Amino acid sequence: MIPSWILGIFAAIMIVVAAVSAARLVAARPWQHRTRPAALADIDVAHLLMAIAMAGMLVLGLRTLPGGAWEVVFGVMTAWFAYRVVRDAQVSGVRALAGGHCAPHLIHAGAMLYMFVAVSAPAAHGSDGTGGMGGGMSGMSGMGTLSLPFLSFLFALALVGYSIWDLDQLSGPGVTGHYSVAVAHVAPASGPADGTGVLTPWVATGGRIAMGVTMAFMLLIMI
Amino acid sequence: MSEIAAAGVRPEWRSRPGAGAEAARAVPDARRLLQLVLAGLWLLDGVLQYQAFMFSRGFSDMLAGTASGNPGVVASPITWDAALVGHHLVLLNAIFATIQLLLGIGIAWRPTVRVALAASIAWSLGVWWFGEGLGMVLTGNASPVNGAPGAVILYALLAVLLWPADRPVPFPAPFATARALGVPVARALWLVLWLSLAYFALLPGNRAPQALHDMIAGLTDGEPGWLAALGRGAASTVAHQGLAASTVLAVALVIVAVGVYLPAPAARGALVLAIVVAAVIWVFGEAFGEIMTGGATDPSSGPLLALLALAYWPARAVVTPPARLVPPPVAAVGKGTAAS
Repeated sequence: MIPSWILGIFAAIMIVVAAVSAARLVAARPWQHRTRPAALADIDVAHLLMAIAMAGMLVLGLRTLPGGAWEVVFGVMTAWFAYRVVRDAQVSGVRALAGGHCAPHLIHAGAMLYMFVAVSAPAAHGSDGTGGMGGGMSGMSGMGTLSLPFLSFLFALALVGYSIWDLDQLSGPGVTGHYSVAVAHVAPASGPADGTGVLTPWVATGGRIAMGVTMAFMLLIMI
Repeated sequence: MSEIAAAGVRPEWRSRPGAGAEAARAVPDARRLLQLVLAGLWLLDGVLQYQAFMFSRGFSDMLAGTASGNPGVVASPITWDAALVGHHLVLLNAIFATIQLLLGIGIAWRPTVRVALAASIAWSLGVWWFGEGLGMVLTGNASPVNGAPGAVILYALLAVLLWPADRPVPFPAPFATARALGVPVARALWLVLWLSLAYFALLPGNRAPQALHDMIAGLTDGEPGWLAALGRGAASTVAHQGLAASTVLAVALVIVAVGVYLPAPAARGALVLAIVVAAVIWVFGEAFGEIMTGGATDPSSGPLLALLALAYWPARAVVTPPARLVPPPVAAVGKGTAAS
């Protein structure tokens, strides 16, 4: 069984990511922008929701919504980022899949959806009557598992790959990360493209790295 | 392409910070890409080390098991280490997992790449002894099919080969690993590795009629149905064919070993063969490192052998413009950009 304090550390990291994402949303005020407010906010909203969901999966006491509700949330999120990736691909070609800023979020959202849909309730303790989420939480301690473990492995590989790529780009000569591409497209003309303070691109990229590693951890310990 | 060519002259981690946002999005050169794959494997190892099995007695028993068959001087420290881990299982395993996680992050984070690569070499050597019993190479049971000479020693070898230094070699370097060690040393390391694998394949214990069958069939427990079926099929194919299968494998490994000394087209063929052999070993001999059983500490040697093959992939010396777009100006030959 994995010690609860290790799960607690990962959950704490997710809470920090959620808090930072919420702060970014408040600072950016996407609802005040007349054009493309969804495109401005989608990444931070995704980070916020995924971090809250993961914290709840890691630590029972942090659970917020039932598994079924999260399935709907991440189903919609996966569809949204799939749409964004298709649009990126129409503009940038297949490079959008590797270097575009939406493809990693599609993988993240898909992995979250998979975790909620594929988790099986632990045999020893039975279902808690709330669907997959209960199994997911028990799965963290080694009692529940994900069906289709190879898919879990593939998701974990993709998440590790994107996290490593983000780390490299974040520490590169320009120290902007390709996140800045997204901001530059949607930032208001009067403001700085890369943002300042909590809106600095590396903050969002750092959050994505933390979520990618945590998600890979969860996927592999639930195999 | 010009950015790539420039990266070949001056490694990106030496570039001046703030050199421009476009530089940040430039595709890293071949060696950096290989370093990133290595970083990903370390990160994956770290995450795997957090699995529930590693916090159980099964992990310390697994460590103790690697002492079996080794000479006393090798086995005694392993036994001592396994007992120590068994007594402080949670703390030590959490430290092990975190170290590997940090190695991955450190290699991916450009300013710390040298420190992390150096640390990974030291860590790999320690794990090779205390965690893998020197890959069982001294026991007579080592086989390339089950991961010899030990996956973790391949991490150390890759760290050495991908070290961010540049020796005076022809530009562009004939292959990525030549930049740090020079062509002769890099080729010699490759030759020694793959010839040793060929030697292990022909050990008496591995060429016995049922040796390969038993090795593959023994991996099917706990695997998903489709993977277990694949394993059973492969095992039945080589049943009672130990000598023939080992000989074929050894011949392929020798071809791979000498392949890097051949001209580029033939070398590419040998490297493709190396990748195919690595893939076959990974799928059938290692069952994807048994990751889907929940008890794997790493993805095993298959991906590392494939990564090594990519590290020796001959670089294209000159990229000429597409013939249909640009007429063949004789004067332009030699001015094409080089991909490292």
